[in-house]
Amino acid sequence: MRLFSKILQVGIATEPLAPGGDEVVRLLHEVDARARRLFGRALAIREVDAGSCNGCELEISGLTSPVYDSERFGIHFVASPRHADMLLVTGPVTRNMAVPLVKTYEATPDPKLVVAVGDCARTCGVFQGSYAVAGSVDQIIPVDVFVDGCPPEPADILRGILGAIGRR
Amino acid sequence: MTFLFWLMLAGYAFGAVAALLAPGNRAVRRGTATGAVVGATASIALALGVFATDATFAFDAPALLSVADGVAFRLDALGAFFLGLVGLVAAPCAIYGAGYSATYEGRYSLRFLGAALNLFLLTMSLVPCAGNVLTFLLMWEGMSLTSYFLVMTERDEPDTVNAGGWYLAMTHAGVALVLAAFLLLAAGADTTSFVHLRAAAIRLSPTMHSVVFVLALLGFGSKAGLMPLHVWLPRAHPAAPSHVSALMSGVMIKLGVYGVLRVGLDLLGGGPAWWGALLIVLGALSAVLGVLYALMENDLKRLLAYSSVENVGLIFVGVGAGSLFLSLGAVPAAGVALSAGLYHALNHAAFKGLLFLGAGSVLHATGTRDMNLLGGLIRRLPWTALFFLTASLAIAGLPPLNGFVSEWLLFQSLLPGIGSSAPFVAPLMTLAVGALALTGGLAAAGFVKAFGVTFLAIPRSPAAEHAHEASLSMRIAMGILAIACAGLGVAAVPILAALSAVLAVRTGLSAATAEIGGGVWLSTPERFAQMSPALIALGLGVVIAGVWLGVRVMAARRGVRIGETWGCGRVTQTPRMEYTATAFAEPLRRVFAELYRPTKDLSIDFHPESRYFVQSIEYRSEIVPWFERYLYAPLIARVQGWGLRTRALQSGSAHAYLTYLVIALLALLGMLLVQGA
Repeated sequence: MRLFSKILQVGIATEPLAPGGDEVVRLLHEVDARARRLFGRALAIREVDAGSCNGCELEISGLTSPVYDSERFGIHFVASPRHADMLLVTGPVTRNMAVPLVKTYEATPDPKLVVAVGDCARTCGVFQGSYAVAGSVDQIIPVDVFVDGCPPEPADILRGILGAIGRR
Repeated sequence: MTFLFWLMLAGYAFGAVAALLAPGNRAVRRGTATGAVVGATASIALALGVFATDATFAFDAPALLSVADGVAFRLDALGAFFLGLVGLVAAPCAIYGAGYSATYEGRYSLRFLGAALNLFLLTMSLVPCAGNVLTFLLMWEGMSLTSYFLVMTERDEPDTVNAGGWYLAMTHAGVALVLAAFLLLAAGADTTSFVHLRAAAIRLSPTMHSVVFVLALLGFGSKAGLMPLHVWLPRAHPAAPSHVSALMSGVMIKLGVYGVLRVGLDLLGGGPAWWGALLIVLGALSAVLGVLYALMENDLKRLLAYSSVENVGLIFVGVGAGSLFLSLGAVPAAGVALSAGLYHALNHAAFKGLLFLGAGSVLHATGTRDMNLLGGLIRRLPWTALFFLTASLAIAGLPPLNGFVSEWLLFQSLLPGIGSSAPFVAPLMTLAVGALALTGGLAAAGFVKAFGVTFLAIPRSPAAEHAHEASLSMRIAMGILAIACAGLGVAAVPILAALSAVLAVRTGLSAATAEIGGGVWLSTPERFAQMSPALIALGLGVVIAGVWLGVRVMAARRGVRIGETWGCGRVTQTPRMEYTATAFAEPLRRVFAELYRPTKDLSIDFHPESRYFVQSIEYRSEIVPWFERYLYAPLIARVQGWGLRTRALQSGSAHAYLTYLVIALLALLGMLLVQGA
């Protein structure tokens, strides 16, 4: 009962899309169309945080937020690399995550795509040369597409994903 | 048939004598097995002979123990069914024992084990052959005592001694009740032969009928493992050598079912509706509680023992439904229910025998029954794993194996009862169907646990890691039973049709039952339901072969990449990270917490400097079975109290004992005087 009264009291709380949001929705539709053509189903993504500061994760989870709701466009974040078509890797690869990243890559069924998200993934960013860092993502596993930005916006991440599935 | 009867006796007798006299351990093991296999084969042939000729085999020795009407054997179709069931499991178990008992060499007497095994098989085979009360009780008692000695084989273990005590107490309480039932029944009969008892039963009052039935049900129920008389099963089955567990669980407890059928349906000729209802309620209770306790067990053989309680419950539901339908006059429905119960008894003998033999191979190979120390055995014991999986699938009721057929038939026999107009029958049947469905699901979960935790993943202990495959004789024995499981499933229609002769104890029942099978179809009365085990097997075979071929073709085109098991990218994977038997059952432990009332004890040792570093962690969780806490513990305390109080009589003084004698004499004389006056 409290739920219903709260719904009545609060009313609609959803905000309109921020400027530039339409571009994200357009890209989402495009990913949807290409994924359908390529797989005939949703695109399954496994996200691997290889040592990121979690700035990139914030943007990636922005994609699945109620604002964009990428699941409705068939972008599906899965819980195991066994189910994935694509790995979305963020951050410089730390020593602790180097082996798990390789194992995740090996556990993903072929054919597979790797999208490295964020400046750290390409150059290790401010963590470059740290004793805790094993290297950039492409030094550990083959990468198909890099997405630049610190952090990249949802639209940039989607362009990266599009670029990756466009290559095939 | 007389020849086969004597061959059976001679086989077992040879086995017993050979075990006692043969030179050397190897010869003892071989002699034991040879005698038992000959005896078991002869008993199967004798049973088939009775079925084929539709005649009753009879053999009398009135001069032997003539005071109590002598020894008499009468083997009709009902007895032959159970005799065949004994033989079916006895032969593989004897072969298995030849290899298995090698572990006892030097530790325990193989001669004693072999002789007791053969005498156990002999007396057990003669129980369904018995034709009068004396013979029946002699054989019954022989079976109980020899099995007690077999349970006590590993007598150095304290658990075994405890188990033996429970078994002896329960089985003798049972015999006392059975004896009381027979004495009441024989009060008005000319002799104690079953033929005369049957005639005398008609003259007894209905109340007396019910008293006899309830006494017999309690007495035979304690042997069958019916709740709440099941307490000895989870103790005695793990303690006994595995081939003996297989025999006790697969066969001996079925003779309790035989006793109930013989007394209730044959000698008393059926009874009022509440007999059937009582059987259904006790059966459903045993089935549900049995499987629930089985799920909580981490000891492989204890799990199987509780699962036997469950299956005996299912058998009694079938028998009870049959007896209920008979009292309502629905003869065809009764026929289906009774054959479902009997067929399940046969099937359970096959798959539970196999499961115990499989558990024996695991025990033989690793030295432990604790599933939390096993794992990874499918690579080390591939044959045992295959046979154990077959039996697990059968007991979980999956087609095309035998468990599926009898459980399907059991459901189909209960469902028409839901539409019954007789009072209380519809709700009872509805509850019974619900209990059966719950049991089926939980049993499947239980055997996923039993097989999965024992055979899959990586070994949890060095013992499991260095396990070795069972010897050839053990594998042959398991193979025979695995084939029996498949055969009883696929060829269920002709077998069930042949079994209709068993139900000749009541007129019209056989004829009604014979209509169950027709061609490849199994159908219940008025075509309520139809199913073809053979066609299902064929369909499954085609689908599995198709999938296998499809995968082969795809793999050939795309190539196969074999990777490591996905463990969330962990650098190392150790057995400590595996799902344990306890963890597998944890969700059910929570759901049924009211029943289990688990006690939990968690103690953590922290590092003295910081609570973030754990030095050791100990978790202990136990469940105390409900009946033992609230029924048996007070009972045992009470009995011990009485015992202590009566000890005052035993003063040790000869004068006091002489006084007792005089008092007893005077009391007897007084009674005579009163009776004379």
